[in-house]
Amino acid sequence: MTVNQNQVVSFQHVDKVYNTGTIALSGLDLNIKEGEFMSFLGPSGCGKSTALRMVAGLGDATRGKVEVFGKTPKEVIKNSNDIAFVFQDANLLPWRTVLDNVMLPLELRNANKKSKKETALRVLEMVGLKDHLKSYPRQLSGGMRMRVSIARALAAKPKMLLMDEPFAALDEMTRQTLQNELLEIWKKENTTILFVTHNVYEAVFLSTKIAVMSARPGRLSSIIDVDLPYPRERIDHRFNEYVDLASHSLENSSIERSV
Amino acid sequence: MMTQSAVTKGRNVVAKQAEKKSSNVWNTFKRSFLGPIVALVLFLSIWQFVPMLLDIKPFILPKPTDVIAAAAADWALLWPAIRITITESLIGFLLSAAIGIAISVVLASSRILEISIYPYAVILQTIPVIAVAPIVVIWFGSGFNSIVIISFLIGFFPIISNTLMGLNSVDKNMQELFTLYNASKWKTMWKLRIPAAMPYIMTGLKISSTLSIVGAITGEYIAGIGGGKGGLGYAITVAAVQLKTPYLFACGIAAAVFGICFYLIVNLFAHLMLKSWHESAMKNEK
Repeated sequence: MTVNQNQVVSFQHVDKVYNTGTIALSGLDLNIKEGEFMSFLGPSGCGKSTALRMVAGLGDATRGKVEVFGKTPKEVIKNSNDIAFVFQDANLLPWRTVLDNVMLPLELRNANKKSKKETALRVLEMVGLKDHLKSYPRQLSGGMRMRVSIARALAAKPKMLLMDEPFAALDEMTRQTLQNELLEIWKKENTTILFVTHNVYEAVFLSTKIAVMSARPGRLSSIIDVDLPYPRERIDHRFNEYVDLASHSLENSSIERSV
Repeated sequence: MMTQSAVTKGRNVVAKQAEKKSSNVWNTFKRSFLGPIVALVLFLSIWQFVPMLLDIKPFILPKPTDVIAAAAADWALLWPAIRITITESLIGFLLSAAIGIAISVVLASSRILEISIYPYAVILQTIPVIAVAPIVVIWFGSGFNSIVIISFLIGFFPIISNTLMGLNSVDKNMQELFTLYNASKWKTMWKLRIPAAMPYIMTGLKISSTLSIVGAITGEYIAGIGGGKGGLGYAITVAAVQLKTPYLFACGIAAAVFGICFYLIVNLFAHLMLKSWHESAMKNEK
C-alpha cells in the first residue's frame, strides 16, 4: 500500500474483538489526512472510542492494522510527542495545580525547566486560564477543567489531537464556547484532530469530515464531507442540511452515502 | 460586651454582624463542646463521689483526687517512664512507617514480587504480634531494643496493607495518560502512584500511630526492665503487683493522653499533606 505523504492515520481492515466475544469493530477502513478535523459519530457501542484508543496505542487491533505517521501507534508514542489524548473527564491529577498539571507531559518527556514553564504559560493563555495557575482542579468548574485538560494535551506540541467525547459532560453553553475555542486552536496550531462524539450538531459544527459509525458490530457506515466554511453558523440553512444528512445516515446505517 | 456595643451604635449593620458572629461562636461552643464538657464533669463527679459514698478502698477503685495525688507524689518515677514509652513508640512508629512504605513501593513496582509476597503480608497481619513477642525477647534480649521491635512489628502491617492498596488503586485513565507520555516505571511510581496512594498511606499512619503505643506498652509488660529504664508498661506491672492502684491509674491515664496527642499530631500531618486536594481533608470548606 502506498502511503500518501500527508496521510497521517490509516485503518486497514481493522477488527477488534474483546475477550468477552463482543465485536467492537468490524472491517474498519479509513484514512485521515493531515490537518483534518475528523469526527467519529455514532451511538454507544459502535466502536468509535475503541478506534480512537487504537490510534493512541491504548488498544491493539485483533486483525488488520493501524498506522500513524506510517508507523505503529506504540512506536509513535515511544519516540515522540506527536499524539495527545483528551479524555472524556478532564482526567487531571487532583494533587497538582493547574500549572503543574499542564507541565506534566513536559516533565515526563524530560523537557528543561525553563521551557516547561514557558510552554505551559503559552498554552494556558490560549485556553484563557492564565489567571488560575495556582488553582487546584477541584476549585474549577467542569468547563475550566476541560480547558486545562486541552492545554495539557497541547503542551507537548502534538501533531495530532485525539479527543474522546471531551464535551459530553458539559452544559450546552460551555460546550458551545469550548467548541469555538477548539476550532481556533485547531487553526492556530495546525494539528489534525480526531474527535469522538455522539452529538450530530457538534460533529457538523466542528468537522471537515464525519465518519458515521453503526453499532453491533461496530463499523463505518458512511463518510460525510462537511463542505462549509469556518466559522460556521449553527442556524444556517446548509448547516441544517448537514445535520439532517448526518442524522439520516445514523438511522439508516446500512445505506452508504457520501456528499 | 458585643451586645452592649450594638446598642450604643444604634444597631447598625456592622454591629449586627458582630453580634451575629459572637452568637455564632457561642452556638458552635454549645453545639460541639458544651455536651462533652458537661459529660466529663459529670463522669468525674460520679467517679469521685461513688467510692466515697460506698466506702470503696483506694486500692480497688481510687478516686480522681487519689490518682492526682499519686501522680504528684511519684512524679519523679512517672515522668521518666512516660518519656521512655514516648521514645520507644516514636522510634517503633517511624521504623514501621519508613520500612512499611519502602517495602510497599518495592512490592508494588514488581508484579511478580507482589503476587508472591502480598498474601503473606496479609496473613502475617492477622498474627497477633503480642503472641510472638516473647520470641523477640529471646532474640534481642530484654529492654529497649526488643520493645522498639515489638512496637515496630505491630505498626508495620497496617502501613504495608494500606500503602499497597493505595498504590494499586490508581485511576485507569490517569495510568493511561502516563502510558501515552511513555513514562518510565519509576516516574509513574513517583509522580502518579505514590501521590494517588497518599490518602491510603495517611490512613495507615493513623492506625499504626496508636498501635505503636500499644506495642510499646505490651513490649514493656514482657520485656521491660527496672532501674529507671522501664516505661509506662513496666511501671504498670510493678504498680499492679504492689497494689499501688492510684499510681497504676495515673500511668494508664498518662498513656491515654500520650496516645491522643500522638494521634492528633499524625492526624494534623495527614491533613497538611492532603488539604490542598483530597476530600477527606476538606470538611470545613463550603
